Amino acid sequence: SRRHSVNRPPTPDVRDDDDDRPKKPSLLEIVNIKLIESGEKERLMELVRERLVECGWKDEMGALCRAVVKKNGRENVTVDDLVRAITPKGRASIPDSVKAELLQRIQTFLVSVAH
Amino acid sequence: MFVVDLQLSSDIFRDLLDSIVVDVASESHRIARLGLDRNLDLEEEELRLSAEARARASDPSHSGEANGKYIVDIFGQSHPAIANEIFDCMNCGRSIMAGRFAPHLEKCMGKGRKARLKATRSTTAAQNRYTRGSPLSTQTPYSNSTSMNRSSNGSSAIAGDDYSNGNLEEP
Repeated sequence: SRRHSVNRPPTPDVRDDDDDRPKKPSLLEIVNIKLIESGEKERLMELVRERLVECGWKDEMGALCRAVVKKNGRENVTVDDLVRAITPKGRASIPDSVKAELLQRIQTFLVSVAH
Repeated sequence: MFVVDLQLSSDIFRDLLDSIVVDVASESHRIARLGLDRNLDLEEEELRLSAEARARASDPSHSGEANGKYIVDIFGQSHPAIANEIFDCMNCGRSIMAGRFAPHLEKCMGKGRKARLKATRSTTAAQNRYTRGSPLSTQTPYSNSTSMNRSSNGSSAIAGDDYSNGNLEEP
């Protein structure tokens, strides 16, 4: 589906980016490439999506979005508004079981590419 | 070769989550901008209203098709079997009931026996010699209209006309 942002670059945390020297690809970037090339990233995305729908997380985020739309006005709201509004709550309200399952999968993958 | 880094797997998980958040936000944005959330509410409202209407319709205290004498339509109106609005015929000027207008027009405009006789009588004798029957029946020699068939027998020799509806209107 076109909406899946498999290849979206990682949301940057606040980082000290004052250095001008050319950066070697970070470990994260290397791993990301491996994730995408192997198709594991797509599988992980599907898994997370499924889990987050099951536990009602997606509906909660949808409700949050509707609240933002109501506040800002339907014509004025941007995707960025919505992303900024739901990211903190979204990250915080992931069920522990879902997080654990995903971390397990990721670590298994990391082990497999390390060899 | 590296030791499995917990921070790394956390970062990867966070990236996945951010992508999903963008998807959810994008979907909600689309729904909001297209006004589809309005439609969702409307649909629920319509479903509710139609369910209420159904309950009312099946309520035995209302007269419907199964109960009571009159047939009731969806607006709750009942109509008589024959339309009873009255207006003036644009051909002869008489006051006619709407439900009886079609048979009236048939006679008024020349399909019926009396109308044809009347039209025949009103033309000159010379015309009668060349056109058998009413002026209307001479339009096409090949027409299959009943008036044409009948006039071939002579305008005065028509027998056995039967009208399926009872009331003859005398011109």
